[in-house]
Amino acid sequence: MLSSATAMLALAAFASAGLVMIMRPGARSIRLAGSVLGLAGVAGLFVEVLKLASGGAGIPPVLPVLFGAIAIFGAARVITHPRPVFAAIYFILVVIASAGLFLLLGADFMAFALIIVYAGAILVTYMFVLMLAQQSPQDGETSANWYDRAPREALSCVIIGFVMIATLGQVLFNPNEEARRVASSVQGEVQSDADLWNTLSRMPKHLKSIAREKLQLSRDEPITFVASDPNAVVQSDGKDHFVVVTAQGKDQRISLSAADLPMNAQVVGTTLVRDYPASIEVAGVILTMALFGAVVLARKQVELGEDERRVLAGLSRLSVEPESGGPR
Amino acid sequence: MTELLATYDASSVNAALLTSSLLFGIGLVGFLSRRNMIVMFLCTELMFQGAALAMIAFGRVHGNPDGQTFVIFILTIAAAEAALALGLVVLLYRRRETLDSEAWSELKEC
Repeated sequence: MLSSATAMLALAAFASAGLVMIMRPGARSIRLAGSVLGLAGVAGLFVEVLKLASGGAGIPPVLPVLFGAIAIFGAARVITHPRPVFAAIYFILVVIASAGLFLLLGADFMAFALIIVYAGAILVTYMFVLMLAQQSPQDGETSANWYDRAPREALSCVIIGFVMIATLGQVLFNPNEEARRVASSVQGEVQSDADLWNTLSRMPKHLKSIAREKLQLSRDEPITFVASDPNAVVQSDGKDHFVVVTAQGKDQRISLSAADLPMNAQVVGTTLVRDYPASIEVAGVILTMALFGAVVLARKQVELGEDERRVLAGLSRLSVEPESGGPR
Repeated sequence: MTELLATYDASSVNAALLTSSLLFGIGLVGFLSRRNMIVMFLCTELMFQGAALAMIAFGRVHGNPDGQTFVIFILTIAAAEAALALGLVVLLYRRRETLDSEAWSELKEC
């Protein structure tokens, strides 16, 4: 009986061998065998990892495995497809599959942001540059340029990648780490709810609108919270959460239910703006500088003739005819 | 259904972590082995994707929205990198009329 770590190493080695066989330009049968080998290796890895998570029991989680397999297939096609345009399209597949995984992990906002920003904006830029720098294949009979068909040192590259994956796997999937992860997730279940209530405490406007709605007050009715700690307006008496508000001259207790918890986008927005405001500024500066950098880099270089250069340097023209200058 | 999705699911976290490490590894292999400069940068985007997936998965484990928040910054850096890298690629393409990175191999020292 192989230990789980050894089995995973062997499976990763199988998958890497399959990847080498796909990457090398060769006979169709070899590439087919390589994809079967790679697919089997990845499937085995998924089985091992899921066994680690559930202890071998429980229904297999179909969706995460499906999205993960699609993402890995797409990634393999990105690095093996001989035509760059198709590689970019397969990258969109990777993005959509990882957005599915994001959804399964409860990150709704980031899933859609990923599709909009990556598949919608970044990949369109890539496509645009691909079209701009498109070369027709030199020899008419092949469909792709030679440098797209022949990888550079496929074997040693895959060995480097394999070492990387093996190290990552040792760190991510060793039994100690797994136990620690399960332990923190058991706390995390409780803690994540507490986190959400804390986040709600930090959204006073939202909380006030909830309170007004529950008390059936008009929107401009003044309302204040009564709490000993202004940072923890939402209080808990052990079994349910409530806020105490002063409205229309008297104190009232409003109990909150799970339906009042903030949504994912609200949580992400609150964390982003309240905890990392300086980082947003820095990100904006980085984007602006990248914009300037791209403009400066891709600016068309104007070829100056001898005459123009002399004129710019403050010297007299060499040539006799005065109107001979090209575009400056 | 939402409750089912919302409960922590160790197996989906593990599947996501495996996917993220494989995406990173495949992106690394692609970056080292492809010759086309645009595809090389596409492979760095693959690596970004793996990192973002790991961020979200670990944020899920610890019940902490910071993981998701940082993916926004990863996205920002990826966008900035794409803009700069593609500007560079266009510049290099204009100089040599090819996307092959080997065309620039005389830049190495020996």
